[in-house]
Amino acid sequence: MELSHLTKTFGNGRGIFDVDFSVERGEVFGYLGQNGAGKTTTIRHLMGFLRPDEGACSIFGRDCFADAETIAEKLGYLSGEPVFFHDLTGEKYLEFMAGMRRMKSRKRMLELMDLFELKEFGPVRKLSKGMRQKLGLICTFMDEPEAVILDEPTSGLDPLMQGRFVELILEEKKKGTTVLMSSHMFEEIEKTCDRAAIIREGHIVDTFQMQELAKRRQKIYTVQFSDEEAAGRFVKRTGEPDGWQSAVMPAITVTAQKGSLVEMTVGGPPAALLGVLSGAGISDLTVRAQSLEELFLQYYQTRPEEPGHERRTT
Amino acid sequence: MILPLFKRDITACVRMFLVLFAVICMYTVIIIYLFDPEFAHILNDYQELLPDMMAAMGMVGAAATLLEWIQVYLYGFIMLLLPLVFAVILMQKLINGYVDSGTMANLLATPNSRRRIIRTQAFAAVFWMAVMMGAVTLVGAVSSELLFPGELDLKGYLLLNAGTFLVQLLICGITFAAACVCSESRQYYLFGAGIPVLFFLIQAVANMGEKLDWLKYLTIFTLLPTAEIVQGEGGIWPEFLIMGVCAAALFGCGSIWFEKRELYV
Repeated sequence: MELSHLTKTFGNGRGIFDVDFSVERGEVFGYLGQNGAGKTTTIRHLMGFLRPDEGACSIFGRDCFADAETIAEKLGYLSGEPVFFHDLTGEKYLEFMAGMRRMKSRKRMLELMDLFELKEFGPVRKLSKGMRQKLGLICTFMDEPEAVILDEPTSGLDPLMQGRFVELILEEKKKGTTVLMSSHMFEEIEKTCDRAAIIREGHIVDTFQMQELAKRRQKIYTVQFSDEEAAGRFVKRTGEPDGWQSAVMPAITVTAQKGSLVEMTVGGPPAALLGVLSGAGISDLTVRAQSLEELFLQYYQTRPEEPGHERRTT
Repeated sequence: MILPLFKRDITACVRMFLVLFAVICMYTVIIIYLFDPEFAHILNDYQELLPDMMAAMGMVGAAATLLEWIQVYLYGFIMLLLPLVFAVILMQKLINGYVDSGTMANLLATPNSRRRIIRTQAFAAVFWMAVMMGAVTLVGAVSSELLFPGELDLKGYLLLNAGTFLVQLLICGITFAAACVCSESRQYYLFGAGIPVLFFLIQAVANMGEKLDWLKYLTIFTLLPTAEIVQGEGGIWPEFLIMGVCAAALFGCGSIWFEKRELYV
């Protein structure tokens, strides 16, 4: 998949601007951005639903708008809001789509139904969001595509099925399937993608190797001190040059303090932090991974220039 | 044509077809049943007494024969309006519904070109309209024969139905073009239903009086040469040809537009 200088404006500053990246054959590519950033608009161009104002995009070396029919033979697509024909049952819908795709074998379809534990569905209109998502995923992969485009593939899936989805993507990756998937959830991207691009307000702000982003991801510690005074003492000491910083651990960064509650990120192993905290009178401690948003924020603030980091100016 | 899609088009519209068909059948049978040369006189008197009212309902002209009766009281109003409603709902189900709900994306993601998809839908619409008109024609002919054996001028009746079919195809052309251009349902109804209904209203007003007679040049229903058909006169083919060509042109333009348009699905 090749996107070169793809631009589509909708007026009042919205749209996508000079979107330029490519997904290599067999690569799993994440397309990250917040809602309204331009992910779906980009995907609509790739599917040949929209025509670019400027620039071009192609899949398998063919123009996405002009050759949509040929491309579709080897391309699977999951739309962001999977909608189906409300009068059909799930089985009938799959059978209909299989007919539209002129599929000969139903083997893969049944395998996928097993994977997502779908045995019988009622009428589509009665299905939950998660069930519809499963139905959409089966539809996308049942014709053994060479490439797939997935718009928010795991929205609505429960954690177990999200796990199954990751399994499916890894299996497809082994087969050599090219995957482009958009998301605002870090987990699935982290577990599956080789590379990712971040789009923000219609501009690609970064394209990078996944491992590199994962390395930069920190844990957030939320510490509940016994009282505000203890919290204040702790925060104050982290700020002093000869505080915990130099002596015990390389980096504690306090990101927020609210009463006796302190939020911080820590570079390095947690053992040392625990040592420090044990003497500081704490009553509770929770650890969570940074959300994608927090990571973006940190990412934009620090703007690293590291080797292997493909910087793009927009 | 894409066979699985066509099959789906047939099953998706069958219920709606049956409902409208039942209503049209009911009217057809009742109107034919009511035919009575004596009663026709009474209604003719009404036309003289209340010409505007009757004309607004499309009821103009003497009705001495069964064919004239059917033309005046069935094909002047019911058989124009109800198939029009059928055409509007048909395109909503076959095209606009897919675009408005976003399911068109599912169809376009299959290895079928937009051209093949939209032509399949156009074919399904014409097919359904032909089935509707064919079935109604059959019901009308059979009930005429049962109720008034030998009264119906069959050739005239078939021509009247053929002409009405062409008018309805023209309306299908309008609704088809509207469905290809519009994305949202309300836009579609505004143009797809609005334009034919406007023509219909103009027709009703034009029927009402001599001063408003010129309005007949503003409505497609004038293309239906009912008087000539009923009186068995010739010269109806140019009108038939014009209706056919206009319908084909509208279908053609609609599908070209659909192939080139942008779809936010």
